[in-house]
This record gives sequence, C-alpha cells and structure tokens, in this order.
Amino acid sequence: MTRCTALFLTLSALLVCGTGCAVTDQDVTSESAQNSDTRVYEVFGMDCPGCHGGVEKLVKKIPGVQQAEANWQKKQLVVAVRPGTELNDEEVYDAIRRANFTAGKRIK
Amino acid sequence: MRTLLLLSLAALVVLAVASSNAIAAGISVDAGLTPAEDRWILRSQVRYMRRNNDPTPMDRRMNMYAFPAVVAYGLRPDFTLMVRQVVKHMDMSMAGSRSRTTGLDDLFILGKYKLYRRNTPQYTFGIATTLGLEIPTGTNSFSSGTWDAQPGLYTSWRSGPWAADFNVAYSWNGFADRDESGVNPGDELSLDWALAYQLSIGDNARVTLAPVLELSYRNISSDRQGGLDVANTGESVLYLSPGAKLTVSSFILEALLQIPVWQDQQGLQLDRNLGFILGSRYMF
Repeated sequence: MTRCTALFLTLSALLVCGTGCAVTDQDVTSESAQNSDTRVYEVFGMDCPGCHGGVEKLVKKIPGVQQAEANWQKKQLVVAVRPGTELNDEEVYDAIRRANFTAGKRIK
Repeated sequence: MRTLLLLSLAALVVLAVASSNAIAAGISVDAGLTPAEDRWILRSQVRYMRRNNDPTPMDRRMNMYAFPAVVAYGLRPDFTLMVRQVVKHMDMSMAGSRSRTTGLDDLFILGKYKLYRRNTPQYTFGIATTLGLEIPTGTNSFSSGTWDAQPGLYTSWRSGPWAADFNVAYSWNGFADRDESGVNPGDELSLDWALAYQLSIGDNARVTLAPVLELSYRNISSDRQGGLDVANTGESVLYLSPGAKLTVSSFILEALLQIPVWQDQQGLQLDRNLGFILGSRYMF
C-alpha cells in the first residue's frame, strides 16, 4: 500500500512539473513575440506534443531566432526573430527537415 | 521453410498496413523511437511476466521482472542509434523450493534508417529498416551466450488523432557462434501492431492521453544441438495488450497490460500468463 502511494505521488509530481514547464514556455514565447518580428510556418509530420521539442531546438539554434514554438494540432511553427537581425526562411525550412518534418508555406 | 512463409506473411501485412487508414503507437517495442537530429530519448520501463500451469507434477512457477533502459540518439535526420540494457530479476519456485536470481541481460544495439517518409496535411507515413545486434555481455543466468543479429522493418501511419505502427523483426540467434555447451539458440520472429487515439487535454496542445491497443506475435524456434532440436524449447504466443500513454510536453508515461490470448509450447515449458509494462520516456 505504501509503495502504491509513493508511486502515485511520484507520477503526480512528474505530471505537475511537466505541465508547469509547458505553460512557462508558452508565456515566454507570447511575450517575446510581442516585441519582435514573428513568422508562422506550416509544418507537416508532427503527431504529438513530444514532436515540438525536436523542431523547436533546431530552429532556436539559428542565429537571429529569439524564440520558437510549435503546435502539432495546428501544424504550425511560430518563430520570433530577434529585433535588428535578419532571418532567411531557408534556414528555418532546413531545420524543419532535419527534425524529420516537412515545411509547408509561410503563413505570416 | 516455415520461417520463410512467416516472413512472407509479415511482408504482406506491412503492405496491408501501408495501404490502409489503420493507426497505433507502441509501448512494447523500442524500434518506434525516432528522435530528431541531435535529440535524445531516454526510456525506462518495468516489465513483469508470470509463467505457470506446469504440465509436470513439479509445480514450477516463475515471476520475471525486467528493467530495460533505452537511450536513443538522432545521429542524422534519417538515422537513429539506440542502446538497450536490461536488468532482470527472476523468482522461480519448484516442488516447494524457491530461488531468486538478479543479473544483466545482453547489451542490445540498434540502428534505424529511414527508407521513406511522407508528411502531408492529411497524414504522415513512414517506413524504416532496423538492424540490431545483441552482444553476449549479460550474466550467466540471463545471457543467451551468443551474438544475435536482428534485422527488422518498421512502418508508421499518423492521421489526425490516430496513430498506427507495425514492426516486424527477426532475431537470428547465434548467427556467428554457439553457446558454451554447443547449443544454437532458436531464432525468433516478432510481429507487433499498435493502434492509438490521442485525446487532447486542455487547449495548449502540450498534454495528450492516448488509449493504446497492441497485438504482438512471437514465434521462437527450438534450440538446436548437433543438428537436432533440443527438447522442451520453442514456443509461439499471441498477446492482446490494452494500455495508455500520457504525454506532457516532452515527457511520456506509458502502461500496458499484456494478455496472452493464444500460445503453443513445444514441450513441457510453463505457460505465459498476464504481464504488464509501466514506463516513462523523456525527450530532450
């Protein structure tokens, strides 16, 4: 019984931690998006929340990218460009490809 | 001949899956792990399996706990490398006496190469080939004692909330050697289907709960020694396994109940009984 309780508490803690991290990411992106050039790309192939991290990590490595946030349900990637810098769309498309996804058109 | 027939059947099933709108996402198979380039996936599980219904009067029973840890790394967009190490604990009882053993299973290394992937607004379909190598590094109680090769094929289909996966793998056990007693362990054919439906929780697309249904077939040939089958070795089993997967951003909790709905033991082995898998995955 004690083991079951410990397992339940551990799983609950992990769940709360994971959800909290996700909300924090979203807040940061929304805030940074207000102060910078924001682009939206179509991305096909993402099929779960776990897919977000792969493409976001690769896009964030591109110089000039301030923040990147993917949404598998909307099939979109929102990229905030650092003010005063230029970003080539081809670099974003290449990052999407290396994440095993396919880029559609740039929506915004 | 039987193996060839089974492989042909497997190839047909792959084509059938590829041309249908069926869907899934596997918990019992590691071949589905596909990190993006320069991304890691860590998977750890607890697997329990019980064997009983002794056909002899010795009343043998066995409880097996396995703790696999898998590390997968995306070397390139089309190539994944993964390593699996399993710690096992076996509790065996026979005619009133009981023994417990803990040790390491053989180290398993798997390479996965993307043959084809098509991402469209409506669906995603992929085919990958896998090649695994099991190195006899385990402790005596759990090591096969031989170098084992495992070629395989993995297909996946995603459409909206649906996900379907199919994996076929053939373990060519003792392809280069025999164990210390001159026994060539029997080869193993594995067919695994998985079907899942993702339910979103909340509106930030970061949390999903997916009921999962898996169907797994295992055919293990008899061991061979001196050109003859070794008695009481070899078996076939079919599992029907309901489960669930909770995804929170890059973290996944998974659970599966394995129900052996059919089995054929070639000798006086114990029957397979219910088993379960509890695990987690973390991507970074």
